[in-house]
Amino acid sequence: MAENVPCQHACPAQTNIPGYIRCIVEQRYGRSYELNRMVNILPGVLGRICSRPCEEKCRHGEADLGQPVNICHLKRAAADLKSPWHRIKENLYTPSDKKVAVIGAGPAGLAAAYELATLGHKVTVYESQERPGGMLMYGIPEFRLPRDIVTLEIDNIIRLGIDLKLGVSIGKDLPLGKLMKTYDAVIAATGCLHSFALSIPGEDLEGVYSGLDFMMRINTGEKPAIGSRVAVIGGGFTAIDCARMAIRLGASKVSVNLRKTEEYMRIDAHEKKEAKFEKIAIYGLVQPVRIMGEKGSVTGITFERTRLKYLAEPPYRVAVPIENSEFTIPIDTVIVAIGQYPVTDYIKPKLKLNGKRIWTAPDTFKTSVKGLYAAGDCITGATDVISAIARGRKAALEVDALFVKHKRKKTMVRIESSEQTDRKRSDDFIPRSQMATLGPRRRLVDITKEVELGYDAIAAEEEAKRCYLCYLKYEIDVNRCIYCFACIDVAPRDCIKMIKDIDIKKDGSYGELVETGEWNNVVAIAIDNKRCIRCGQCLEVCPVQCISVSKVELIEQDMER
Amino acid sequence: MPKNDHYVIIGNGPAGNKAADRLRDRDKEARVTIISDEAFSFYYRYKLPDFIAGRISEDALKVRPYTIYKEKNIRLRLGQRVERIDPDEKVLYLKHMKKVGYTKLILATGGSPRVPPSFIRFMEYFTFMTNYNDAVRIRPELQKAKDIIVIGGDLISLRFIKMLTGMKKNIYFILTRNCFWPIELTSRMAGKISSSLEKKGIKALVDTPIAAITRQKNKLLLETGDGQKIRADMICSFLGLKPNIDFIVGSGIDTEKGILVNEYLQTNYADIYACGECAQIYNPKLKDYWISIGSENAALQGETAALSLLGAHKVIKPVPKNLLNVGGVSVNTSWWKQF
Ligand SMILES: Cc1cc2nc3c(=O)[nH]c(=O)nc-3n(C[C@H](O)[C@H](O)[C@H](O)COP(=O)(O)OP(=O)(O)OC[C@H]3O[C@@H](n4cnc5c(N)ncnc54)[C@H](O)[C@@H]3O)c2cc1C
Ligand SMILES: Cc1cc2nc3c(=O)[nH]c(=O)nc-3n(C[C@H](O)[C@H](O)[C@H](O)COP(=O)(O)OP(=O)(O)OC[C@H]3O[C@@H](n4cnc5c(N)ncnc54)[C@H](O)[C@@H]3O)c2cc1C
Ligand code: SF4
Ligand code: SF4
Repeated sequence: MAENVPCQHACPAQTNIPGYIRCIVEQRYGRSYELNRMVNILPGVLGRICSRPCEEKCRHGEADLGQPVNICHLKRAAADLKSPWHRIKENLYTPSDKKVAVIGAGPAGLAAAYELATLGHKVTVYESQERPGGMLMYGIPEFRLPRDIVTLEIDNIIRLGIDLKLGVSIGKDLPLGKLMKTYDAVIAATGCLHSFALSIPGEDLEGVYSGLDFMMRINTGEKPAIGSRVAVIGGGFTAIDCARMAIRLGASKVSVNLRKTEEYMRIDAHEKKEAKFEKIAIYGLVQPVRIMGEKGSVTGITFERTRLKYLAEPPYRVAVPIENSEFTIPIDTVIVAIGQYPVTDYIKPKLKLNGKRIWTAPDTFKTSVKGLYAAGDCITGATDVISAIARGRKAALEVDALFVKHKRKKTMVRIESSEQTDRKRSDDFIPRSQMATLGPRRRLVDITKEVELGYDAIAAEEEAKRCYLCYLKYEIDVNRCIYCFACIDVAPRDCIKMIKDIDIKKDGSYGELVETGEWNNVVAIAIDNKRCIRCGQCLEVCPVQCISVSKVELIEQDMER
Repeated sequence: MPKNDHYVIIGNGPAGNKAADRLRDRDKEARVTIISDEAFSFYYRYKLPDFIAGRISEDALKVRPYTIYKEKNIRLRLGQRVERIDPDEKVLYLKHMKKVGYTKLILATGGSPRVPPSFIRFMEYFTFMTNYNDAVRIRPELQKAKDIIVIGGDLISLRFIKMLTGMKKNIYFILTRNCFWPIELTSRMAGKISSSLEKKGIKALVDTPIAAITRQKNKLLLETGDGQKIRADMICSFLGLKPNIDFIVGSGIDTEKGILVNEYLQTNYADIYACGECAQIYNPKLKDYWISIGSENAALQGETAALSLLGAHKVIKPVPKNLLNVGGVSVNTSWWKQF
């Protein structure tokens, strides 16, 4: 399964990507949206800002096959194009008498709360800020994520009877111990709100900001002072957003400075491209040594050059400084965005940590304190929204299993026989459609103006048609095959293999296939679904119709006990 | 013990050819292969403007005849693009997943036209001229064209303009200071260049933003940010080069702007070297990384890479600054760097 549908496997929430893309071709946008919502409660949000781990693995992007499908923007298209009277589907379970508190209304907390609410439990979410959403509201800038989308999708969650208590900081306004006593379980989803410092001289000068603080101040309506030359240190989401915000606030020269190189930036290519389009320079292989100032304000920054050094294990490359390579540039503002870590001091008694993060037992989301679970960035360190959602949901399922004494949902593989689709071979050659964006001047006038303009129905269909629909599985029935090799002649790549030996496992399924180039030794012809692009050419030419197509999907089923 | 060395060189420019020659001279037994995506054999790139202007023939472009490679026993695989490198397995993948194994590899892939992000949306209207194919394609077009806009600039753009003035064309030069290559121009420098261009009858527009480009019947209409409308037959873009490394990024070979190499031109893989306009080197004197410019520098690096590969551990010396007078402004034509 994992190898057959690489995009779905790469998605932390395991979204049924070919399923929802196919719905877009059929113009069933509402269904497409709901397919997303089954595992990801914020499709309209993720369709804009997802880090797109799926696209890196999309089969369409393999060597020789062109570019990956624009999976993320198709998600947005489903959200944008669905009817305004769209019906939301909820699978609601019988109400229980269990009460759960969730700390933090970021994506992880919201996903957990939603899952628990549908499972029938009474959920209260405590959020220290005035508005829910976590980094969706206070981190990510509005020009990438309009707040009405965030609010709408959060409202759809809260509607399920979740009690959202805003402006309550656990540890400050209400002790954690009190929650632990009042609720049957507590999930901490408090994110990563502390910023790492560079720990170099000059960091306390006026004109030096921490990236997260800078974004949070802007997202709460402040306007931090910014000079004309800005150096951002770091290369993650926060760094790039700070740079793009600085340009919008009037800076004329903005650079993003990396210790390693662009290749190691933890953001998708798409974000990089937009930043460069806004004339932000990205400099690799440098690290700051000191920040210089006069009369308490920043005037310059000294960097040294670095080189990459190989490591045998992750992260595989580290940056090491090059001796005697210091150089200084004049600068007015420095924004330090080199990562965040969670605040944990509100938790008493002290719990076990994993470095600076909250430790949880593998796969169970249980902390070292009984009844306290944790999910999202506070256990993983700063990641991305889709990972936070996936973990929030899984943590909720663990809490549910605690109450019910067994898992209520199970992931299964559903196999249906399927017709060859109406996809044409020419669809494989449609180029990836870029989403239209605002021009360079129009986008910079207002810090809230959304840069990306969305797909219309035609563009969405064109892009959706590109998807190979990897959930289809092509198989050759060995008993009916007459070894005419017609399929191999029409195959677009080495997708059909001549086999001299097949390892058949005890349960009857096929194991390893042993290939051969010698026609005399061929005992079977098999389709390699890792290489197959579901073009259907073999099916068309087979004289004895021994090739079958089935649709293989991961589904969640209830487990009765 | 028979030797099974196979030295593969990707790129058929001055760096690749010099490297191949040196490898062949010093190692008579090894197989030496040059792979290049260009189908035309080794030629003088700098003569392309003369070729387009119709002043020289195709034969005069060639550095040496095809037969030389047979004599030297260097295998040429022309018209074949390397799509991917697997440095751990020591194989290259050509189109349709065709594999080529190597024991040692030299990357000499040069550069291709740089398009700064702010110009990307106009790219479909731009004509580029960096290789033989481009030249053949635009030669007839250019002969017919009357009005030509040059988006600049870089050193090649100035060569190109010189050719155009000889052809009696109507020329507009849009000079964007912070997109000039390899250095950013100050307004004084830009002023000097533009007045020297004006003297030659070229209309120079300094730092004039492009608002829109549209196609109108058989002309292109360029509208500037300050409301000027310029009709042209061609818009040629010359904004420097960026190393051809797209197919290398992510393979495990370290890259930044170019392929990162040490002073022996060795990459982070002991058996892979890079040279010419695709290689990025740290220079302790400049306290910066730099990438060389020009065919002479490329050839010198090709030689150094070959010798290093053969075990001579030859160090590439930082080339001296070569200052070219461009309309009264001195521009370094030996290397470029990012800051
Ligand atoms: C500027 C920026 C841009 C980003 N861009 C992207 C992007 O484009 N794509 C992407 O996928 N990811 C992006 N991320 C990362 C992403 O936002 C986070 O990974 C994600 O929000 C983590 O979700 P979470 O629920 O774990 O934590 P958070 O979103 O941080 O939410 C935690 C919530 O808990 C609350 N809280 C904390 N402590 C307490 C307490 N004691 N009591 C009550 N409430 C508390 C906080 O106020 C907050 O609302 C970005 C992050 C930043 C900062
Ligand atoms: C019009 C023009 C005028 C010039 N004038 C001068 C001048 O007067 N003086 C001067 O010194 N320099 C001049 N130059 C620059 C000079 O041509 C270059 O500096 C020189 O060619 C660089 O050599 P190289 O070997 O590094 O790369 P290149 O000559 O660019 O060769 C690289 C080769 O590798 C091929 N390649 C790239 N990727 C792949 C791949 N994946 N698979 C297979 N093959 C690949 C390319 O197609 C190319 O053929 C000029 C250039 C141009 C375009
Ligand atoms: S082609 Fe479609 S189904 Fe296949 S990996 Fe890409 S997005 Fe997923
Ligand atoms: S459908 Fe058949 S011919 Fe097409 S890629 Fe798959 S196995 Fe090959």
